[in-house]
Amino acid sequence: MQTIEFPMRRYSESEEIDYLIVGVGSAGGVLLQRLARAGFKVVGIEAGPFWDTERDWVSDEVGSHQLYWEDLRITGGKNPLTLGANNCGKGVGGGSVHWAAFTPRFHPSDFEVYTRDGVGADWPISYWELKPYYELLELEMPVAGPPWYPWGDPHSYAFGPHPMGGVGNTLVRGCTNLGIGVSVGGPVAILSGSRGKRPHCIYRGYCIQGCKVGAKASTLITHVPDALAKGAEIRDRSMVSHIYHDRKTNRVTGVSYLDQDGTEHFQKAKAIIVSGYAIETPRLLLNSACDGHENGLANSSDTVGRYLMAQAGNVILGRFDEPVRMYKAPPAHALTEEFYETDPNRDFARGFAIQTVGPLPIAFATQMMAARGCWGWGLRRIMMDYNHWSAFGLLGEILPWPGNRVTLAEETDQFGLRVAHVNFDLYDNDKKLIEFGKEKVEQVMRAAGATEIVQEARYAHLVGAARMGKDPATSVVDGFGRTHDIANLFVCDGSILPTQGSANPGLTIQALAARTADYLISQGTKIFNSDKRDMTSPPVRRELSPPGTHGTGVPRLR
Amino acid sequence: MLPFSQRNGILEQKPRERDNPVAHFWRKTLLPAVAEDEAHIRQGRFQRSMALLAGASSILAGLEVSYEHYRGSYGQKVMWTPVILSGAMTVAGIFGFFSKWAARTLLRWTSAVTLLDSLAGFYFHVRGIARKPGGWRLPVANIIMGPPIFAPLLFGVSAYLGLIASFLRPEEAPKFGLFRGLLRILSARNSGRKPSPWTVELPSGRFQKHLAAATVLSAFFSGFEALYSHYKNNFRYKAQWSPVIIAPALMTAATMSIKSPKAARAWLPAMSILAILDGGVGFFYHARGVLRRPGGLKKPIYNIVYGPPIFAPLLFAACGVLGLLTCLMRRER
Amino acid sequence: MDTLHDPSSDGRETRRPADPKTGKSLPPLGQPGYYPGFSTLNQQKFWDAATRERVLRRVNDVPPIRFFNPEEARLMKMLAAHIVPQDDRQPSRRIPIVPRIDERLHQGRIPGYRFSTMPPDGNAYRLGFEAIEKMAKQSYGRPFQELSWRAQDELLKSIHDAEPKEGAEEIWKQMPVHRYWALLVQDCVEAYYAHPWAWDEIGFGGPAYPRAYIRLEHGEPEPWEVKERRYEWMAPADSVSDPKGPDVAAHSEHPAHGQGGTH
Repeated sequence: MQTIEFPMRRYSESEEIDYLIVGVGSAGGVLLQRLARAGFKVVGIEAGPFWDTERDWVSDEVGSHQLYWEDLRITGGKNPLTLGANNCGKGVGGGSVHWAAFTPRFHPSDFEVYTRDGVGADWPISYWELKPYYELLELEMPVAGPPWYPWGDPHSYAFGPHPMGGVGNTLVRGCTNLGIGVSVGGPVAILSGSRGKRPHCIYRGYCIQGCKVGAKASTLITHVPDALAKGAEIRDRSMVSHIYHDRKTNRVTGVSYLDQDGTEHFQKAKAIIVSGYAIETPRLLLNSACDGHENGLANSSDTVGRYLMAQAGNVILGRFDEPVRMYKAPPAHALTEEFYETDPNRDFARGFAIQTVGPLPIAFATQMMAARGCWGWGLRRIMMDYNHWSAFGLLGEILPWPGNRVTLAEETDQFGLRVAHVNFDLYDNDKKLIEFGKEKVEQVMRAAGATEIVQEARYAHLVGAARMGKDPATSVVDGFGRTHDIANLFVCDGSILPTQGSANPGLTIQALAARTADYLISQGTKIFNSDKRDMTSPPVRRELSPPGTHGTGVPRLR
Repeated sequence: MLPFSQRNGILEQKPRERDNPVAHFWRKTLLPAVAEDEAHIRQGRFQRSMALLAGASSILAGLEVSYEHYRGSYGQKVMWTPVILSGAMTVAGIFGFFSKWAARTLLRWTSAVTLLDSLAGFYFHVRGIARKPGGWRLPVANIIMGPPIFAPLLFGVSAYLGLIASFLRPEEAPKFGLFRGLLRILSARNSGRKPSPWTVELPSGRFQKHLAAATVLSAFFSGFEALYSHYKNNFRYKAQWSPVIIAPALMTAATMSIKSPKAARAWLPAMSILAILDGGVGFFYHARGVLRRPGGLKKPIYNIVYGPPIFAPLLFAACGVLGLLTCLMRRER
Repeated sequence: MDTLHDPSSDGRETRRPADPKTGKSLPPLGQPGYYPGFSTLNQQKFWDAATRERVLRRVNDVPPIRFFNPEEARLMKMLAAHIVPQDDRQPSRRIPIVPRIDERLHQGRIPGYRFSTMPPDGNAYRLGFEAIEKMAKQSYGRPFQELSWRAQDELLKSIHDAEPKEGAEEIWKQMPVHRYWALLVQDCVEAYYAHPWAWDEIGFGGPAYPRAYIRLEHGEPEPWEVKERRYEWMAPADSVSDPKGPDVAAHSEHPAHGQGGTH
């Protein structure tokens, strides 16, 4: 599907470019496109490959491992997170290549968790500041969803909902039987109708193996082509190893990176944006420690790496007498946010969502191994019943805790760089929330008609670890992603989220990137030669959307 | 519940057989009216009803296309055109009912544009299937999951009816004989030729073969849609076979009618009535199917959009109506 | 196909599943499962070239053993035969497990993380072999290979239950037993259910591009899929891996996360 028909602009290493972006994923792709369109000299450096989707991707579970970040990381703590396929992408498009593409917005309450509930943190910005960017990105991807979405700030979608597969029908039946509201056929960033030459979804169920069809949005197909057309450069298979810092001026000057042959290069830049996601971003900042920043770049607050969050992602599986065949249709196609907000009747703060998931055979077998202790003949037997099972995912908000953090391990990777060590523990509020949420999902599964229900404890998504905030003593970046410590160093990806709600973070990450881009553009060259921080909100630049964004789809009600 | 009169203790007297208002209505009003209508139709004097039929079928087609295109998210701007045109057709049909002038101008031009749009739609749907992964190398999967290939042409049949209506005479005799006079001039000018041009044949109700061909086409479009969408549903219900069987039967009867007047009198009405009844039953099953989906009426928009297409059986019934109309026509000379 | 298969163990009646009504062993099948005649490979002309190439390579090219030494490979093969038993399959239709695990370890591929309590995967496998042999010696006085099928199954079940039989306490201090078990099962499962023959067995449609699905709801089979035809079977009498009864709940103390990203 992905074809780039024009030569890419190349900058020489001696040329001082305007913006250097580390990581061309969800946020990096959007930043690259916006900044290139605004006329900046911009280079994205990506550790993974630039995909030729027809040649490189396969419609196969095992064959898709290349899409995930599978280099070594050490995971520990009382409740260690699994990484790799679970939450980390590699290659142009990053996580947006292998996300299931659920794209709910965060709720207004997510931006003021501390004020409302006395836990977690407040964001330095409000929902209303981000809302125009949600609306914009929902058109750019675009997001398909119901004509009316009732939760949070109610809104509608320009692209219509998707048809249901077996799992979706199970969730709709379970929820409506219990009188729980449910959103059907979205919101997901998958085309429900063709747009330009991008065909609509063919309902093959291989979303997280990379959408060969091109129906699922990833920055690889939504933003990167326009970025390259406007003069951006992407250096793929290049691992950034160090960000250089000039102590005299307290500004970053460029990065060194290793290409696929292991050759080291240096690229000068007037400003650097780190978009490496919640593990590689803090790892790079920590690995770039230097004189004046001995604890890692931009880490005077000792917050880099801390407040890492994953969402509770327990999978609840139910067996039905009638066949379901859950491998058909995208795994992401229906959800409820009825339990999203803090409920004073419950003994914990914040809430959770319930979503469809559609594990393919290997994922299902692993879940059955964990959920039911299956092995041997018992495993073979349960697998022969694969087509009778349906699966829901809990998506529960886990609060930001300082002890949940990314540090550097002693071990090194293939480049000789110290790898990340991830520590993760659950705390009281998290445990209560998971327990309650799990039971609720099981109720829904039972109401849908399941005769046997099992569950597997797991986690989904990764955010935090370089959070934004107003106070430089407790956060790494300000409301626009600029590090408090260094005026020309930015972080823009999932790691700047102070809290995570129980919505999948992909849309929010891209919306934040578009907002940061608007800010940088409105600042002009001030970023490059001034240390003054102008905190006025930039105007929303709809004209920077990729071509074809506006004018298609249904008029939105709100 | 008791009738009002019994509650008041007064027994109402049953009307006697000969005073039966139903029988009276039947004998004195309905039969003559039907006979008159039939005569009108045979003489091509049914512009009003034809205009209304075109308008009404456009409503159905418009409703269907609006949610079908919502399924496709109006991802291409051109997808709005049939929605707008179906509204225009409806308005033109209603105007055509009231005004001969409107029928001959507004309805004619709207119908012509709609007919062209339906041809363009057919092209876009064929291209849409070609653009799906695998394109025409996977005809079965992509016809079923792509844009409904013949749906635009089915809408085109409504436009075609509107176009015909615009050339008919209205039910009453024209007041000043202008229309008739015009026709006389036209026919006089062409008196020597055989066959007469359609401009004469049509207003005088002589276009049975013509309409029979239209019946064949619309039964094919509608039946093909039934075939693949029921196949998509794996023929879960036996009744899903019925339109798939009746459509070819109707097509055969209508094809035979082109050649034989006898078939037009015997087979075509029988098959047409069958199609109308089947469409009615189908409408019921489709509506029930929508209600039975997960969420049922709690998710009305979703279940109408993705449940069985509730108007599709009515469009199939409309093919039957077209067939019935064909039976009543006089044949071309 | 499976070059490591031990022919002497083939066809032993007691190792095969049985018909619960008659108690007799079911004959070995070309394709067990409830979808007789269903073949994903028959649909390969509807797959894209890259996928077809990848899947056919998986079926036709079994990699040589490079990481395990012959002794380890033999033991690993026995473990795999317990974790994903295939005695109901005809020998020519068995899915190679050990070569896939060996290939991964040889290439040093990992799933993107290592638990801080675990040694690197290769070491974990070797420690595991050592532990199993020690447990076998201590509890049964013989090497694992010489134990009866049932004793082998019971020894592995003790690892599955995270209550390992005596003999390898030192090793389990270096490597949590439940993590070792998860590693082992995960690898075996990934090798078995990546194979198209396994997809046929469970009625999974396999690759779906460019042709995908037309029947999304009600579990209806595609025109090229097969309707389910269930039959009753019970696990072989000398196996303990298919416990009867509804409650086979996992050890809640040590939840083993699945590795699959599902949302």
